[in-house]
Amino acid sequence: MKTVTRFSTLERTEHVAVMALFLLLALTGFPQKFYDHRWAQIVTGWLGGVDTARWFHRAAGLTFGALLAAHVLRLVASVVRRTTSFSMVPTRKDVADAIGTIRYYLGLRETPPQFDRFDYRQKFEYWGMLLGSAVVVGTGLALLFPIQTAQWLPGQLIPAAYVAHSQEGLMAFLVVIVWHIYNAHLNPDVFPFDKSIFTGEISEHRLQHEHTVEYDRLTQAASGTAAPAADTPYRRLPRPAQLVVAPAAGGAFAMLLPVLGVAVVAKAAFDAVTGRARPGRGATPKTADPRRERKAG
Amino acid sequence: MRRQSDRFILSLALLWLLAAVTAHAQTAPSVDNATCLGCHTDTSLAIKAGDGSEISLHVPETALAGSVHAKHNCVDCHKAMAEIPHPAATFASKRSLGVALVEQCRTCHFANYTKTLDSVHQAAVARGDRMAPLCVDCHGSHDVKSPSTPRTLVSQTCAKCHEGVASAYARSVHGQDVSKGNPDVPTCVDCHRAHDIAGPHKTEWELRLPEMCGRCHADAARMKKYGLSTNVLRTYLTDFHGKTASLRRDQGKPVNGAVVARCPECHGVHDIQKTKDPQSRVIKANLLQTCRQCHQEATDNFPGAWLSHYDPGLHKAPLVFAVKVGYWVMIPIMIGGLGLQILLHLWKLSGAR
Repeated sequence: MKTVTRFSTLERTEHVAVMALFLLLALTGFPQKFYDHRWAQIVTGWLGGVDTARWFHRAAGLTFGALLAAHVLRLVASVVRRTTSFSMVPTRKDVADAIGTIRYYLGLRETPPQFDRFDYRQKFEYWGMLLGSAVVVGTGLALLFPIQTAQWLPGQLIPAAYVAHSQEGLMAFLVVIVWHIYNAHLNPDVFPFDKSIFTGEISEHRLQHEHTVEYDRLTQAASGTAAPAADTPYRRLPRPAQLVVAPAAGGAFAMLLPVLGVAVVAKAAFDAVTGRARPGRGATPKTADPRRERKAG
Repeated sequence: MRRQSDRFILSLALLWLLAAVTAHAQTAPSVDNATCLGCHTDTSLAIKAGDGSEISLHVPETALAGSVHAKHNCVDCHKAMAEIPHPAATFASKRSLGVALVEQCRTCHFANYTKTLDSVHQAAVARGDRMAPLCVDCHGSHDVKSPSTPRTLVSQTCAKCHEGVASAYARSVHGQDVSKGNPDVPTCVDCHRAHDIAGPHKTEWELRLPEMCGRCHADAARMKKYGLSTNVLRTYLTDFHGKTASLRRDQGKPVNGAVVARCPECHGVHDIQKTKDPQSRVIKANLLQTCRQCHQEATDNFPGAWLSHYDPGLHKAPLVFAVKVGYWVMIPIMIGGLGLQILLHLWKLSGAR
């Protein structure tokens, strides 16, 4: 089967490192968060006591922070040197794709949207990960060095960091359990295991199916029928703005995607109830429910 | 059926009667007190101990009069002395006589005697410490009275050996109120227990301490009288120090023997003051000094990291409150929103339009 290289060795290494550190941090962190549960006491016992667990948590956290810093520095350098493609930055198309996909799920659209190099789900996860990492690393450092933190900043920041660290960790864990495990494992399209991030390769078939816009651009460029299309939505912005706008867009998208889904479903339900779902076929609220239609047909 | 239960009650009654009669037979004196006092009111009556000292055997006629044992007979405790003339016995010292006699307490006070075997005092006795307290050193020998009436009596008893601690306690908010007859405040034994007194430097004991303070300080009815918050235990336990204490308790030994900050590290051990008292270690003016006991490098802002047992709210620690509320809102939206999209996808795949 023909494959296309999708991830560099560095990117694959980053993924494996993040995966290992994430598991270690969760294992050593949650018993501290849920200290009054029996299982927390048992796990802490396995880890050799709370002090050993904390040592591992801090070591893993510092490594994770170093990894994050290296990644961000690499990004900044690539922006400054104008070698990045910005293919991970969310655009208006991603918002439209997210809405379109949910409308497609709801049967309000015949075909799903076509995606470029990274689809909106992947961008959500990447930016959510980056933003969440910044929160846990920042608050983690404040908790590891409370005296130094309080030398410059109000003391109240420390309990605030404590809550944020604990809750952000829980949220990240739940997002990984729900969203990442679904998209990388349980999703019937990839079940049981999407190996791309480990092998770095994706089959041409999957690329065509899941990243149609990118596939078309690659094949057109290869056959010389078209010039390589610009997939750099922020190319025309001045450099400092790129450094601000790109992460801001990413962060906003990571926060908004869950709400977007709810909003689309709510609007669809509203339309169905008020009879605006099928403007061409007239308002027939009884058959507006797609499930009813399917059973009838 | 009726018959059977009647017979059962009858046999119970008979059994009780039998037990009562036997018990009475046991306590019936073989030698009455007048016989004993016939000799023992003699002030010069004494034996020589092995160490050469004299042990007076003089007992005043009224020795048991005011005690809780007033209705008992001498030989109830001094069993071997029921035989007259008494069997020969020699003791290395007066203390040896006491150690031997204390065994008699077990006959009636079995539960408390057994508890004492687990105590730090008994450990000292077992080490051969002749100063270690026996039952009679706290309760008295002939003049045994209720040990806690009035309650001030408790710390006075302990003060016989633990003088420094007792005077610190007497100056504390607890000690001052005990002398006013307040039944709510703890005496020594409420924290240290009376018979199975544990060594206060034992790890298990040290890590159980927050709960011990919480027995009263998390008791709403008791704290209401003094306008004290019952959140103190919960807010401590959910904070970093409290979590450390909880997790270490099950895991046993703390590192370097340094137990994490618990109630007394900040509030004091025996000299606990009201938090508003200028002498209090936790009043704002003294708090930094208190933090520095462990966090030596702490600066002015550092005590602000501790929310003084308050739950964050709009008026207390609004930043912490905002973060807390923010996540309460964000986590369900995040997970619910993503879950919804997954369910919709699965619904689509299941063949829905």
